[in-house]
Amino acid sequence: MSLGDFRSLQLRLAVRLAILYVAVAAIAVGILVYQAYETAGSLNDRELDLRAEDLAHAMVTDSAGQPRLDLPSKLAAAYAAAPEDDLFAIRDANGRVIAASPAEFGARVGKWPPAKSEPSYFRLSGVGPEEVGENYYGLNVALRTSAGPMWISVARTEGSDSLVKSLLREFVFDTMWVIPLLMLATLGIGVVVIRNGLKPVREISQKAASIGPDATSVRLPQHSLPTEIQPLVVSINRALDRLEKGFAVQREFTANAAHELRTPLAIVTSALETMDGDGELKKLRTDVARMNRLVEQLLGVARLDAMALEFDTVDLNKVASSVVATMAPWAIAQHRTIAFVGSDEPVNVNGNVHALEDALRNLVENAVLHTPYGAEVTVTVDCDGRIEVSDHGSGVPRKDRENIFKRFWRGPGERNEGAGLGLAIVSETMRAHRGGVSIADNPGGGATFTLSFPSLPA
Amino acid sequence: MRLLVVEDEPRISELIKAALERAEFVVDTVRVRADAREALANTPYDAAILDLGLPDGDGLDLLAELRPAGNHIPVLILTARDAVEQRVLGLDAGADDYLVKPFAMSELIARTKALLRRPGAALGTTLKAGNIVFDTIGRDASIAGMPLQLPRREAAILEHLLRRQGRVVPKSVLEEKLYGIDTELESNAVPVHVHHLRRKLQEARASAEIHTVRGIGYLLVETKT
Repeated sequence: MSLGDFRSLQLRLAVRLAILYVAVAAIAVGILVYQAYETAGSLNDRELDLRAEDLAHAMVTDSAGQPRLDLPSKLAAAYAAAPEDDLFAIRDANGRVIAASPAEFGARVGKWPPAKSEPSYFRLSGVGPEEVGENYYGLNVALRTSAGPMWISVARTEGSDSLVKSLLREFVFDTMWVIPLLMLATLGIGVVVIRNGLKPVREISQKAASIGPDATSVRLPQHSLPTEIQPLVVSINRALDRLEKGFAVQREFTANAAHELRTPLAIVTSALETMDGDGELKKLRTDVARMNRLVEQLLGVARLDAMALEFDTVDLNKVASSVVATMAPWAIAQHRTIAFVGSDEPVNVNGNVHALEDALRNLVENAVLHTPYGAEVTVTVDCDGRIEVSDHGSGVPRKDRENIFKRFWRGPGERNEGAGLGLAIVSETMRAHRGGVSIADNPGGGATFTLSFPSLPA
Repeated sequence: MRLLVVEDEPRISELIKAALERAEFVVDTVRVRADAREALANTPYDAAILDLGLPDGDGLDLLAELRPAGNHIPVLILTARDAVEQRVLGLDAGADDYLVKPFAMSELIARTKALLRRPGAALGTTLKAGNIVFDTIGRDASIAGMPLQLPRREAAILEHLLRRQGRVVPKSVLEEKLYGIDTELESNAVPVHVHHLRRKLQEARASAEIHTVRGIGYLLVETKT
């Protein structure tokens, strides 16, 4: 299956599934990240609130009646530990700065407008030493304290929530990296799952590929198919039933027609034989002989079409010598000779002896008719499973070699002695034997037809 | 010589009868198996020509009845080409020869004569091909009435070729025939004898000649005039 073939149902389904899956996953991750950032932000705000409250609690009134910040030692130590990171400033209701850390922050906050009881958040930069120059995020709020209402400002460097953010960032980057992998994985899983699901479909398509004119009885398996496909397969099988029936009728017709023609032909043949005379009568006899031959060949073709040949172990030596012996008198009557060159050992192949004799007879007949008077046709059996029939005719032109085995084909200018079925029978017989027939030029002129058989498993 | 033809197709039967009668046989024809059975029981035929597909049953069954009953009449079976297995069955059932339809009448006559020439059969004594005549009892040959002197081995070969004229006789079969005469046989004995025999036939202007089918054997064919 090529990836470029986008008409593949498997691939299309897999890709669509994968895209959908990844899109859903990306949306889910996005929402998660967004929520996490939100939570991180509100956590920050909440902490600033708490600090402001802590500072408010720490406000006391001293003996002079003045408000004063009395930080618990722990908090004081914490603020002293990072004066640049954590800022605060406390103003009274008149805007006077009561306490601040560091002092610069106090100076700055002193110029700010009054705080409100609703907390307001701010961003700030450039407080503290130049080299620090950090950005701050802070809160202004007006709170009641034991020393009266106070305006409290707290701020912390923006980077101080960096742990949360970096965790988030890392999570996002991790997710990003996983997405293509996820895509591939889903694609892979999709392909495997769909392939498995479509396996019966592949199996029936393989089965369907074996259907042909010589294998019309094949039917596609209907069980264990997806219900979506089953009706299609059932219809195809029904169509095949009808085709097979049609084929059978056709074959039967050919066979019956040929068979029925035989008796009247035999009568005409015999009647012509009993008549005395020359000229027209002689021609008529030739014509009838040709018709006899045609009917025989039609029957041969019908036989090949109609039934599965029964195979047995066959010795090519015996087949060839028997055909040569049977045909020799006819060849001699045609003023040609015929010779058999056997192999020393039996050459066994798996085959049907009658079909093979028929095929070889056709080949020999063809060779004899194409060889000049007085010349010899040689039938050679080769020990590696071949029969060669060589003649001394004019050979077979290269361009005709494809067509010569087709039914009813005749070469241009061919004399009218055959119907063009003989070589078709040869080729179809060889196909039924999983062998082949080939044509080559003879060194001394003429053609050599070779029947080759697959070697018999020992 | 009297023959029985068992054939249900009237035109074919008629033509076979006519052809055999021209070859100077006396011919009776029947169309069904039952009639054939009766004819064979009542008349001493010299040979029978039996078509396998009969209206009231298979000709093979008739044959299967004859042989166990001790009737050894030579039988020539007529069979269709696509019933190839039947040929084998026919020979198993005791047929002496078969002929595949459609056949030439001349072939039918030749085969019938060959059947009658078999040892013990009606045409036991004289074999003919063209102007060659061979007496199987006296074992002497003549061409156009002129006696032809042949050594025993050449005569044996000629006899065998005549018995199966028009058909190829495998070299191995001729070797076996010679083996009966000579226990020591050289590997090229048959070709040598055939060569001599052929030359003698030519010199005597015989109207039949011996053809070699290289790799298989020899056959004797009447020369066409």
